[in-house]
Amino acid sequence: MTAALRDRLAGYAFVGPFLLVYAAVLIVPLVMGIVISLHRADLFGRREWIGLDNYAQALGDPVLHQAFGNTVLLAVLIVPPLTVIALLLALALNRPGKFAAVLRGVFFSSLVLSVTIVTLIWRFILTPDAGLIAEGLEAAGRAPIPFLSDPDLVIPAIAVTTLWWSLGFPVMLILAGLQQVPGDIYEAAALDGAGRWTVLRRITLPAIRRTLLLVVMLQTAAQLQLFGQAQLLTGGGPGGASRTIVLYIFEVSFGRWELGYATAIAELLFGMIIALTLLQYWLVTRHEEPRA
Amino acid sequence: MIGRALAFGFAGLLAGCAPADDRPEIVVQRFFGECGAAYGESTDVAAADTECGILTTLINRFEAENPDIRVKVNVVAWPGYPQLAAQIAAGDPPDLVTMHQSVISDYAGAGLIEPVEPLLAAARIDPAAFTPAARAGVEKEGRLYAMPWDTIGRLWHINTALMAEAGLMRGGKPVLPNSPEELLAHARQFRERTSKPYLIQAQVSAPDFHVALLYTYLLAQDAVIFPDARHIRLDTPQARAIVTVLRQLNAEGLTTLNQDFPAATAAFIQGEGGIFPVGTWMLGPYDAEAARSNSPLHGNYAVAPFPRLWGEEASFVDGHAWIVPAARRSPAERAAMARFLGFLAKYNYDWSRTGQLPAFAQVVESPAFRALPHRADIAALARTGKQLPGYVERQSAVQGLIGEELEAAITGAKPVDTALKDAERRVNRLYAQMM
Amino acid sequence: MKGARLHPLVVMALLLGAGVMLAPMVWTLLLSFKSNAALMADSGAAFSGPYTLENYAAILKGSLTLQWLANSLIVATGATVGVLVLSSLAGYGFARLEFPFRRTLFVIVLLGLAVPEQAVILPRHQLFAMLGLHNSYPGLILPSLTGSFGVFFMTQYFRAIPKELDEAALLDGASRFTLFWKVLLPLTFPAQATLGVFTFLAAWNDYWWPLISATTSDRFTLTVGLASAQMNYAQTSGLGFLMAQAVFASIPILVVYIAFQKQIVRAMAGTAVR
Repeated sequence: MTAALRDRLAGYAFVGPFLLVYAAVLIVPLVMGIVISLHRADLFGRREWIGLDNYAQALGDPVLHQAFGNTVLLAVLIVPPLTVIALLLALALNRPGKFAAVLRGVFFSSLVLSVTIVTLIWRFILTPDAGLIAEGLEAAGRAPIPFLSDPDLVIPAIAVTTLWWSLGFPVMLILAGLQQVPGDIYEAAALDGAGRWTVLRRITLPAIRRTLLLVVMLQTAAQLQLFGQAQLLTGGGPGGASRTIVLYIFEVSFGRWELGYATAIAELLFGMIIALTLLQYWLVTRHEEPRA
Repeated sequence: MIGRALAFGFAGLLAGCAPADDRPEIVVQRFFGECGAAYGESTDVAAADTECGILTTLINRFEAENPDIRVKVNVVAWPGYPQLAAQIAAGDPPDLVTMHQSVISDYAGAGLIEPVEPLLAAARIDPAAFTPAARAGVEKEGRLYAMPWDTIGRLWHINTALMAEAGLMRGGKPVLPNSPEELLAHARQFRERTSKPYLIQAQVSAPDFHVALLYTYLLAQDAVIFPDARHIRLDTPQARAIVTVLRQLNAEGLTTLNQDFPAATAAFIQGEGGIFPVGTWMLGPYDAEAARSNSPLHGNYAVAPFPRLWGEEASFVDGHAWIVPAARRSPAERAAMARFLGFLAKYNYDWSRTGQLPAFAQVVESPAFRALPHRADIAALARTGKQLPGYVERQSAVQGLIGEELEAAITGAKPVDTALKDAERRVNRLYAQMM
Repeated sequence: MKGARLHPLVVMALLLGAGVMLAPMVWTLLLSFKSNAALMADSGAAFSGPYTLENYAAILKGSLTLQWLANSLIVATGATVGVLVLSSLAGYGFARLEFPFRRTLFVIVLLGLAVPEQAVILPRHQLFAMLGLHNSYPGLILPSLTGSFGVFFMTQYFRAIPKELDEAALLDGASRFTLFWKVLLPLTFPAQATLGVFTFLAAWNDYWWPLISATTSDRFTLTVGLASAQMNYAQTSGLGFLMAQAVFASIPILVVYIAFQKQIVRAMAGTAVR
């Protein structure tokens, strides 16, 4: 056996195990999904080829339209504030010392809680009967607010819950980005007498541009797939006002057994997430000259 | 280092949970809530209360009496049907599952559950012993697809102290309305005199709440809700009239708003409103509460079937049943399942202490059941109770859809007739999609 | 910038924010120490005594919480170990070895970054049913192992290690595997820690897959088990018990987090996001 051949075999030996799992548990279902979406299929194995009918139905489904609107609204209410708050926090906490360390710990802490626990806690914060906020309002002589049953408040309520839960990861990413900015740039800027604002705008933000892009892309993709919070907090109510696309996929598949239709919606969501991710990437990087 | 530590812990955990056990195993799946904290070790059935408490205790007792059978219990989030569908699709369904009788036809029609005559025979349960309502609930196309467990209906749970304050008691009995106009008049009078809402209603995450009201009063007028297995009829004058009154109650603040079931349940105990129209299952707990001397409800609790408002006296009833998902099982497992069903049947009286009507005629006639409080007031339910036609499928999904539209109509998010039209369209489309 | 003192207003804002972050957790903690009966009457009772340990006693005594906790630990640990092993091997392979279709395969793996779980979860459920993998630890762990991110991340990390190290070792007669195992792998420890912690967290918090794949309650993970208890709480053990479950379930993960917190941030600063 020649050394070159042995190297090749070694290459496959190293990447093989992952590729095997990847092919079996990701690629195969991905292809299966596309095939299933072209069928009228139920959860228990019955299949009937119908071409693109499921997609046509999806485009004309008012419930899906509502879910789409809810999902986009949630993403809009979550991603920009999350990014801005995370950036501000990271800027403030990117310093040595006990105070900053403790606060970093506090702001990261909710990240480790599972969605069940987050919704459990927030249900009893938001509920108008005995919730934490209601108790506070009552103490102040005000009427409690029905966050989870008012169609206009339920999306913001889920957004706040999600913000509280998701803050830690972006802060962490941005902190990591900030720590990579070479210190001597700041020193040079200080020698030039640049103010804080100028430093932030001219040096810091451009330096962590890629990190911010990553945060926005990851969060957009994540929030477009919001599921647990809506299912556990409101079940999509009232009247579908907080039903997200993924919750709808869950209902259609396991509640109504319409696997083909559910899969078609999932494929549409997949397309939407890819398109958005690419768009964001393009928007941020198109002005970047190949600077090296 | 860390990897090694984790791997070590991993191995330890795996080793820790691999007991050898060759007893037949049955997986029992139920809703009714989780109450391991209070009833995790109790085996005294007579001392247990509430659906969750009684059923948990029953299963504990069965395990204690049958050490040769291994029982695994899945407590699923109510009503648990999405999870059951996932389990069946996963090819690993439980052995015995609680199911609403109105849902059985979906699963029977698709061949997902087994007829249970052989199991009933093995358990020496004679189907002739079921009450007519219970039998109707589990019989589809001439086969029995479940062991019925009770008949459930909706009742008006009434706080008589507040009703007296509102001037709505006569001869020690609550005065109930006899028409929609009277309902609104009573509610306004109640609000004026007590400054509390007349009704307590669960309107959040409780789609079936309003649906039960709508079905009841449609059935009372002999309105055809399901003309055939593939269509629903909701865009009708009768339905509009009913939903308009419900909307009116909300608009005028004659009912509690924004409560889910737990909140409404507690609100009634605390005397925050006059009448809580909820199921038979709260009869037991509320009666126990009314017996506690320091409860706001003490001595002030009455109960009645839904009053006649339209048409004749009628009530939409349903029931719980134990179904068996289709699967390959060993004779030993089937014997264990039969023993479990026989055991449950023996305790049907204890289950009826929850407030549900028993599924066995003999229990309904028994002095013990008759002696339970308030049962005389609700006995009418057994006579006036109506179920949906046997060919109606997908009730869980259908009620979800209708409930969602009703919620929108009743809170005023949508005009009543738009909501009913939307509900009709969505349900019909669901049926059109069925395979 | 780094050393500058924080403006008092900024400090106040930070403290306020920290309060918002902590208040829900404190509320939960207080509720968990109250008797269910007291809370049934008035949830405001949480702000004053008497407090009790009865809810925690009930968890240890009568519920499946411990089993769920063990399941979550097994699944999350299995996922973490699996991802670290597979990603390290593949990362090294892609970064260092020449073999046919290397670039094509790497691009295929990268495309996986764009595939959301929702696009594959339903067919995967069908597939696992055919393979009889549901309601098993492998069935719960396997989907976590398909993450392209780990491979991408480790490939980047291996690429950043100077090639001279390899050459020196190979000259000494080391095999490819020895080189990988003895020389390069130890250098990737910070990356392993970062990837490991995030894999662990993601697997620990996963909700939808265990919800539909675990079919008996003794295979539920904590997220699913707590959800079933939570959605039933109308007539159940009560608010205090639920909150105690929540606290109890969060303790192990909080311990992991506190233990690794420094590691995470330092490792990310060194490796992430180039």
